[in-house]
Amino acid sequence: MKIKIIMIFLLLISVNGVSQVTQPIKDNINQYSPINQINGYQRILNNLSGIPQGVTIGGYGEVLYNKPDNLNAEIDVQRLVVLFGYKFDDRVQFVTEIEFEHVKEVYVEQAFVNYSISPKLNLRAGLMLVPMGIVNEFHEPTTFNGVERPSIDNKIIPTTWREIGIGASGRIDNIGLRYQAYLFNGFLSHDGVSGKLKGANALRGGRQKGAESTMSNINIAGKLDYYGVNGLRIGVSGYNGKTSAVDVQNQIVGSEIGVSMVGFDGRYSYKKFSARSQYTFASFSDTDLYNELTRSDLGSEIYGYYLETGYNFLPVTNKQRLVGFVRYENFDTHHSVESNITKNNAYHRKEWTYGFSYHLAPGSVFKIDYQSKSTNSLNSPFGQFNMGVGVWF
Amino acid sequence: MHKRLFFIFLFFLVGILASAFASINLSNNQSKYILKQIRKEITTVFLLKDFKLMEKSLAIPPSLFLRASTFYKIESQTKKIGYAIVVTAPSKTDVFEYLILTDEDLKIKKAKVLIYREDYGGEIASKRWLSQFVNHSSDHTYVYGDNISAISGATISVHSITSSINHLFDFLRVLKLKGNI
Repeated sequence: MKIKIIMIFLLLISVNGVSQVTQPIKDNINQYSPINQINGYQRILNNLSGIPQGVTIGGYGEVLYNKPDNLNAEIDVQRLVVLFGYKFDDRVQFVTEIEFEHVKEVYVEQAFVNYSISPKLNLRAGLMLVPMGIVNEFHEPTTFNGVERPSIDNKIIPTTWREIGIGASGRIDNIGLRYQAYLFNGFLSHDGVSGKLKGANALRGGRQKGAESTMSNINIAGKLDYYGVNGLRIGVSGYNGKTSAVDVQNQIVGSEIGVSMVGFDGRYSYKKFSARSQYTFASFSDTDLYNELTRSDLGSEIYGYYLETGYNFLPVTNKQRLVGFVRYENFDTHHSVESNITKNNAYHRKEWTYGFSYHLAPGSVFKIDYQSKSTNSLNSPFGQFNMGVGVWF
Repeated sequence: MHKRLFFIFLFFLVGILASAFASINLSNNQSKYILKQIRKEITTVFLLKDFKLMEKSLAIPPSLFLRASTFYKIESQTKKIGYAIVVTAPSKTDVFEYLILTDEDLKIKKAKVLIYREDYGGEIASKRWLSQFVNHSSDHTYVYGDNISAISGATISVHSITSSINHLFDFLRVLKLKGNI
């Protein structure tokens, strides 16, 4: 069945791809060149012009099909996010994203006020994204290849990672630098009943997401992005602090751990070619006490990296893009463990993903890929076939 | 800990107040600010101190990517120097202003983003990236992803500025041929 689906997909692409022949550019003032006619944006911008001034409406969503080898497929409206923004004046804006996960769970993904003093300095406060890696900030389905987000951006960086905080951001155009610096609330490591962090996905279970959060420690986060070389963008991010535990519990030794994380990322594109890579490393302190108290198996060091390269098979002047890509991921949530737990080799994972992202219009994508996953304790890799549609407007 | 939090909050509050008083209020003095920027750029690009800036109303029809434009002739002691054009173009949820300086033959000598209002996508203001528009003849077509490189995280603004420059020069070329400018 898989092969049949792939055949139908390739057929669709070839028919559409061929029909996308660019028209010659005419030097006629009454006719826009085809380069100027970008339908996706046209629609987005036309829609916006109909909305009362100051209000922004947008959103993104993805509907996915995952079929692990020898298991039933899962079909899911993974997330549907509605964005509302309001501009009070040129300097003060409010941005919020309301997320529906798996149809039935509602979250607020972002809700902050931005006060723009100058391009060099913006102050913001509220529920914001932690700037770490690429996908945590740029997570709209049309901005990354692959049906699922990279696994590192799930197990190492717990995307979508957001907390309540306050901070500053800005750009220095002369040297092509963007900076972000924030104070955030941290992870919840103990809710008074049990520990929230575990070996398989480290911090993921501890995200408080701004919902009746507990705070006993302030965490700092920052990122520098350099885009001074055309086509290239590189980033370095850092995070440091301590988790929180609920009242009373936080007096008990081992309830809180120290968290330090550092990340490097790069994106490059040249004509039809694109590549991206990310490396993230985190180290936790007091995991021996934490594991003793909670009977958890949290590692003391975790890391992960991925390399991805893509190629657009359609002419650059086409509004559609068909990107074939390959991604290799290697990550370990038990890179290092304290002596009171044993290292689990199954937590050192390696994944290959091969697939296509077919951008029907800017803002609308159909994705298909196959993933081959293995661990250090498993000799034969297991596979998963994925398909999905994504939109961003 | 609440003491620490209080001080952090106070620090930010003082910062906000100080900067609000110190910096110019863009919404009130926007056109003044833009004119000041144009003059500054002309001085650096054409190495001129004494020049006249004359606004000329041209019927450049707005397009999806060119929301509005203002056209200026630059003259120095009755000698024609070139042109300055300020364009308003859309970003994802707002609009931004950029400046184009050309010589007498409509060859772009400088491109600069004057006002960008969004947090994301502002990377188009990068000096190096904007230099891709400089020193081509007026009939050059800029193609996103081909002779204009993409910027990760600024896709919409990159499309917007590239398309609006193409649109602008489609008209300016014809007006120049007709001798209207």
